[in-house]
Amino acid sequence: MTSTLEPRAPKTSVVDQPRLQRRPRVNTEVWSWYFMRVSGLVLLFLALFHFFITHILNDVATTDATFVAKRWDNPLWRLYDWALLALGLFHGTNGVRFIMNDYIVVPWKRAAAKAFVYGLVLALFAYGTLSIVTF
Amino acid sequence: MNSSVYRGKSGQWAFMTHRVTGFLVFCFLLMHVIDVSLVNVNPHLYNDVHGIYGNVFMRIFEIGLLGGLVFHSFNGLRIIAYDFFPGAIKREKEMLTVVVFLTVVLMIVGGWIILHPYFFPESQ
Repeated sequence: MTSTLEPRAPKTSVVDQPRLQRRPRVNTEVWSWYFMRVSGLVLLFLALFHFFITHILNDVATTDATFVAKRWDNPLWRLYDWALLALGLFHGTNGVRFIMNDYIVVPWKRAAAKAFVYGLVLALFAYGTLSIVTF
Repeated sequence: MNSSVYRGKSGQWAFMTHRVTGFLVFCFLLMHVIDVSLVNVNPHLYNDVHGIYGNVFMRIFEIGLLGGLVFHSFNGLRIIAYDFFPGAIKREKEMLTVVVFLTVVLMIVGGWIILHPYFFPESQ
């Protein structure tokens, strides 16, 4: 977009502005907003602890098939990994959706990009779930 | 004027870095689902592919992955902080400094631990 230089906004901070008189309408974007915050908080623990186990506590070279088999012997670790898979994929997909909405302006290109990303993620989610469940 | 630059201050860099780290970690996750799922197809194939993670270049990549995860995690907390406590936005620069500090420190400490087995395999 080619915007000309606009005058700077008056020097009031966001905090000083009057509060909204009524709550904004609750729609899917509001749910998306909550989902990003809630899943993000959970992922902070799941992802960082996963990285800690596989790269810090253990040398990554030792996390072979035997290591996976030992871990997935415990259904709670399967649940942990599945939660990380599901939340990571959907938190990430929603983030990529924001990016596509911001940068892809031609409607059919945006629709095509979304179809590709959603299709890929659903396929990988199904494949990953199958791997964890049937191992 | 370049329309992609929005006043270019720390907040915009935090936003861009959040985006880029999130996107890269997401791309890694897509690949990681496939490489872990190989354990179900054939454990030997899994071991062969997984051996790549021990390569020194891959270890350096993992330090970057750690940095991306840590920055995105703690910057996410920073965003949540001023979403729910609007007064916190007055401290957004200080909070960003803390986020960057944590990212750098954890990359150095984690990086040393991740690279150590490669350079000193006998100490394992």
